[in-house]
Amino acid sequence: MISEKLKGVILRALALDDYAITEDMLASEVPGWDSLNHIRVLTAVEDAFGIRFKSHEVMRLKNVGELDALVRRKGGA
Amino acid sequence: MIDTLWARWERQATAQPAADAVISWCADAEPVRFTWERLLSAARGAAAGLADLGVRRGDVCGLMMRHTPLFYPLYMGISALGGIPSVLAYPNARLHKDKFIHGLVGMAKRSGLRWLLTERDLESTVRPLVTVTESTVEGLLFPREIDLDIRRTVEIEVSPDGVCLLQHSSGTTGLQKAVALSHRAVLEHVARYGAAIGLRAEDRVASWLPLYHDMGLIAAFHLPLASGIPAVQIDPFEWVSAPRLLLDVIAREKSTLCWLPNFAYNLLATRLREDDAEGIDLSSLRMLINCSEPVRADSHEKFVERFASHGLDARALGACYAMAEATFAVTQTVPGQAAHVLYADRAALSEGRYQPSESREGARACVSSGRVLSGCDVRVVSPSGEPLPDGHVGEIEIRSVSMFEGYRNDEAATHEVLRAGSYASGDYGFRLAGEHYVIGRRKDIIIVAGKNLYPEDIEDAVGQVPGVIAGRVVALGQDDAALGTEIVMVIAETTVERAEEKALKLAILKAGMAIDVTIARVYLAPPRWLIKSSSGKPSRRANKDRLGELMQLEARSA
Repeated sequence: MISEKLKGVILRALALDDYAITEDMLASEVPGWDSLNHIRVLTAVEDAFGIRFKSHEVMRLKNVGELDALVRRKGGA
Repeated sequence: MIDTLWARWERQATAQPAADAVISWCADAEPVRFTWERLLSAARGAAAGLADLGVRRGDVCGLMMRHTPLFYPLYMGISALGGIPSVLAYPNARLHKDKFIHGLVGMAKRSGLRWLLTERDLESTVRPLVTVTESTVEGLLFPREIDLDIRRTVEIEVSPDGVCLLQHSSGTTGLQKAVALSHRAVLEHVARYGAAIGLRAEDRVASWLPLYHDMGLIAAFHLPLASGIPAVQIDPFEWVSAPRLLLDVIAREKSTLCWLPNFAYNLLATRLREDDAEGIDLSSLRMLINCSEPVRADSHEKFVERFASHGLDARALGACYAMAEATFAVTQTVPGQAAHVLYADRAALSEGRYQPSESREGARACVSSGRVLSGCDVRVVSPSGEPLPDGHVGEIEIRSVSMFEGYRNDEAATHEVLRAGSYASGDYGFRLAGEHYVIGRRKDIIIVAGKNLYPEDIEDAVGQVPGVIAGRVVALGQDDAALGTEIVMVIAETTVERAEEKALKLAILKAGMAIDVTIARVYLAPPRWLIKSSSGKPSRRANKDRLGELMQLEARSA
């Protein structure tokens, strides 16, 4: 399960009131999370968790669960 | 000398067999470099393989594939056979299967699509293309499974006046228009456009642009190929998730030319942090050309500010005005000079004339799209079709030696825009001292990140959401200065209770997703709120002007 904090950050970045975001979900399954907003979401996650992603790290992300795992690996609080 | 694309490519291969032609870039792997010799040899193999499968001269061959090095020889192999390649967008995962196939079937019928070259995992989705009644599609072909390493040459005699490619407008309704271009039009165009940008043998193109779009296909693919200069092609999907890829390519390949839609300037300038910008060197770029959506002065300013310390020459920032119907460019800024910016008085501009603003504060910054290309004629005309003098705003009308001959199998749509050889662009602008400034458009089309969206498609999808009153929806574009592009807004009339509004808004967002449109804002309105136009349909313009009322209404009830 992805962290509540990550879910909250994603929802806020996409201006969604609520949406069930699960770890096996693809960005394309979340309203508003298109390629143009993808970078907006990632920047919001970086700021909220005080971490920095490298380009090559985010390019390999396949689903929300992998983003969650990357945040944890980088010690995101 | 006017010839065919294939003849031109062969001559390039003979003249410089070991030179780079196309470099297919992949983020995680070494790029695949096609020298001219390798590229032509692979294209001959592809032609032989496709001929064995039944592809013949004049066959329209859709290419719907993810970014792959295989694409280039395939496209060229179709051309060697006298076939007509048409690059189609690979469907986004968001797109609803039924909507996608409905649009594709309609498009295929109109364009007379004969073959679809695609990937095995799309097979079940696209199979109805072949099986629907009166289908023109002979079959699906899976190029990854075809033996393309055939040492046999199959080349067909092709007329320079024959159609060399089809480009489709975007849309989901199946009414996408197909622009057919001849070998002559494309080769004439790239020669004249090359002259306008001062193309030279040392030039190198970098591009992440999709090839189903005229900017990607003509500027970043046909122009370099026909001119014998190398082009790096980056996967658009990889680029958008890691925009610095383009900058890496420019630094590594010492690229000199690049075309981008406006939103990309904002994206690169605002999203690339300095700690992720190591090794970026843009000093090789001599032209960075803004095209495909309204050019914004602040986007150029942001970009220059961000990358001046990485070697960017501010004079490289040019612009052009282009459309698939004229093959590509109609106007282009002068190489070595940044696009001119005028600060116009807004009140005067809304009355249809340019007048310099006394201060930049509150003025409308108008960026020039440059001067008219040789072989083109641009007129700014009044509603009655009379040419207007400098500084007066009117519709832009175009004549060009590289004009399309009409939308394929669509006389009505052709007649609407093409009269006596003049193309009515639907764009508004003015000319001043030889420079052209495009400032708006007559059509309600919404341009998001360089992609044209038709409000009718969005209104149709949203109108089917339970709770929305059928036919009582408008979709509108709104400038988003931070993104440097437009966002989509929807106003929908409904009778649902307040408690159900959140769920309804979400359902509307999902209806947008199903046609691959991100709806940024949804406004719900009570029945009979939307103003109708004389046609009886809700008016987009009039209702956009009333948006403030709706926002107040929402704020009061929140």
